[in-house]
Amino acid sequence: MNVAAALLAQAREIGMASLAVVGTSKNAGKSVVIAALADALGRESTPFGLASLGRDGESVDALEGTPKPRFWLRPGATFATAAVLVPRSPAAEIVAVTSERCALGTIVIARSRAPGCVEIAGPPSAAALRRVVTALRAQCGFVLIDGAVDRIAALRGGEDAIVVAVGAATASTAARAADECAALVAKLRVPPHDATHEAVAIDGALTAGEAAALVRAGERRQIIVTDPTQIAFGGRVFLELARQLDLRCRESLHPIACSVAPLWAERAFEPRSFARDVAQRTRLPVYDMYANLKTDAA
Amino acid sequence: MNALWDAATSGAIGADWLQAELAPAGDFGRRARLKERLLRRGDEARARGDIARVAAVARDVEGGRLRALRAALATAPDPGALIARAASGGVLDDVDFFELSRFLESVGEAVLLTGDGAFADVRPPLADGGLRAHLEQGRTVSRTFYLADAFAPELTIARERSQAAQTAFDLARSHLAERAARYAGVESLRDGEFVLMRDRLTGPVPREIRIVRESPTYLLCELALDEEALQAQAERDAAAACVADAEEAVRARLSARVAAGASALEHACETLGALDLFVARALFAQRHACIVPEIVQRAEIAFEEARYLPLATALAERGRAYLPLTLELNGVGVVTGPNMGGKTAALRTLGFVAACLALGVPVPARAARVPLLDEVAWLGIGAPGASDGLLSTFASEIVDAAAFLQRRPSRALVLADEFARTTSPREGRALLVALLATLRSRGCLALASTHFERVAEAADASHYATGIVAAFADDEATLGLDAALQRIAQAMDYGLRIVTADAPPRADALALAGALGLDGTVLERAREEL
Repeated sequence: MNVAAALLAQAREIGMASLAVVGTSKNAGKSVVIAALADALGRESTPFGLASLGRDGESVDALEGTPKPRFWLRPGATFATAAVLVPRSPAAEIVAVTSERCALGTIVIARSRAPGCVEIAGPPSAAALRRVVTALRAQCGFVLIDGAVDRIAALRGGEDAIVVAVGAATASTAARAADECAALVAKLRVPPHDATHEAVAIDGALTAGEAAALVRAGERRQIIVTDPTQIAFGGRVFLELARQLDLRCRESLHPIACSVAPLWAERAFEPRSFARDVAQRTRLPVYDMYANLKTDAA
Repeated sequence: MNALWDAATSGAIGADWLQAELAPAGDFGRRARLKERLLRRGDEARARGDIARVAAVARDVEGGRLRALRAALATAPDPGALIARAASGGVLDDVDFFELSRFLESVGEAVLLTGDGAFADVRPPLADGGLRAHLEQGRTVSRTFYLADAFAPELTIARERSQAAQTAFDLARSHLAERAARYAGVESLRDGEFVLMRDRLTGPVPREIRIVRESPTYLLCELALDEEALQAQAERDAAAACVADAEEAVRARLSARVAAGASALEHACETLGALDLFVARALFAQRHACIVPEIVQRAEIAFEEARYLPLATALAERGRAYLPLTLELNGVGVVTGPNMGGKTAALRTLGFVAACLALGVPVPARAARVPLLDEVAWLGIGAPGASDGLLSTFASEIVDAAAFLQRRPSRALVLADEFARTTSPREGRALLVALLATLRSRGCLALASTHFERVAEAADASHYATGIVAAFADDEATLGLDAALQRIAQAMDYGLRIVTADAPPRADALALAGALGLDGTVLERAREEL
């Protein structure tokens, strides 16, 4: 079994044509998952697109100077990146110059014509990312989105299957990392509101202070946000407040799985038990691309 | 002043609206517009030529073709930066070639759409030194760009060798990877490092797998390439480097061609900018059925059925009628009439016609005779100083008038909307009479709206009256504002009539106030006062 292919199959089963990977922290293994999925799509000769929020795919992390995976693409893969990052060799086919910009300049859509590595850079805003994804969808049937730390707002307005990445870099212990992951998954899974019950609609973002005030006021009605990305707090604070409030959303998101990166330069977790912990806490299937392991939801 | 009018005048005479209507579609046009200057006295020959060409295209070329041209100009990418890079010896990248191809396609499209004589002076140059045809080798059916083999035979050779070397390496590596995957009990192994769980191992780790790190439950490993695979890898990397060199050589040659044609390309950019502005004018003239005015040297403006388009358009959007204006102004004139009778609209129409000429566009009228001006100044209500809040209305009007008189433009149009209305009527009238007399003596064109009596006679100015109000019934105050405004509009005659005897202007302010809902007892008291 190839676990990347299995993850793709899981997304397709629920009819998703794009898959976004979001991380619980930096170095949580998002790019590893994207690289594995790109490889799996390439092996089955499925034309796909690759987009990123922020910069990704560099051989060395731009912030920390640590090694990062570059994306090795087979011919036919379409990707969105800054014009200056389009590889000079092997030459790529230039499909379109978009009106979106990132810190490195204009974002273009290109297609690989020969096997090679690419660096990906994406726009900084959710709306711009959605436009880039739409442009990629015009070129290919399936789109992979490499998210960024704490930028789940990029998921807003999208119909993406979501994979939450957690790794040894997330927290000092496997249990804490699994907690972080469970909190993010719980937030992304805020259920749709029930129109037959009373509700309080929140205009814009719901902050921790506002949520705490609602708890103090003994609010029992549904608290409705537009979508889970409008909940502006996470981690344990989210779990605690969500336990005491009936948080709901108008547009739900679709977290389908977690990925684990148990090995990191500064610390390592035992792969199998870490995956089990995450599966138990999130009740989602967990994929380990390093060990080629899939752990089903408990 | 460098400009023909200040910001407040621009708003008052509809020049802002006109500029927005004439906005270019693309970056070239926007850049060209920054360099453009308004036509003024002395530019008569150029103005005649420009306006005649715009009018000819508006008359002879279908709107659909003009809009297609505008759409092509809107999406044409700007190659300015890449041309400069190539001209300074830089090697362009593939995104540059893609953009340059699109630019040349836009030029080609513009050339096709401007194929007749009407566009002779603004048609983009067709000659690009064969660059477009050359770049076409990289264009695919779906109009993408790729540094294709067709650019150079050595590219084909290098790529074939690289592909063969990659295949050889993949094969050599796959033998090792398959054996390692079989040992690991998986379908395939990921590139780079991978983890093997100890409890899955079926025997000693084979030589195809190199252990990077050990732990009690797992091994962190990577594929260990053998001699054959390492050799294949080295050959693959060398072949890839050859491809990189060949690709860079093609880019350098293409960049040199771009550099050689830099001045022609820059000229094409400028022509596209001029064409963009020209098309905007032609579409404007077509949309508003404009005519070529007679451009005169003497101080007179005359037009038949001219339309002040900002107002005409706004009224049309509300389904209301607009009455075009006919006027002949020699030197200085005064327009009187009731409130809401169209005095200010008359002033604006005059300014708007002058603005059309200054911007080189045909005029929205049935006929027009207009001179080019050195300045258009709006005084009175809505004048520049009126809004800064530091001066009283009267003071700011006087400051504006003083500044204008100091500038002494050789040919100006002054539009004075109820100038000096906020001081004592006797002195206000005296100031207006004096201002008009001064403007007349300086050879200015001027039209002043006023409620003061016998100004035209005293200033030796032409007198026009507008907006004769029909009688209003007593119940009209109960109609509501919208209906009252409609009724007032129906009762007005917005046409300008020449008044031969300088009779007191008919104001009908009380009747209008009644129609607009002023309390009856107040009106009664006002009538007693009269």
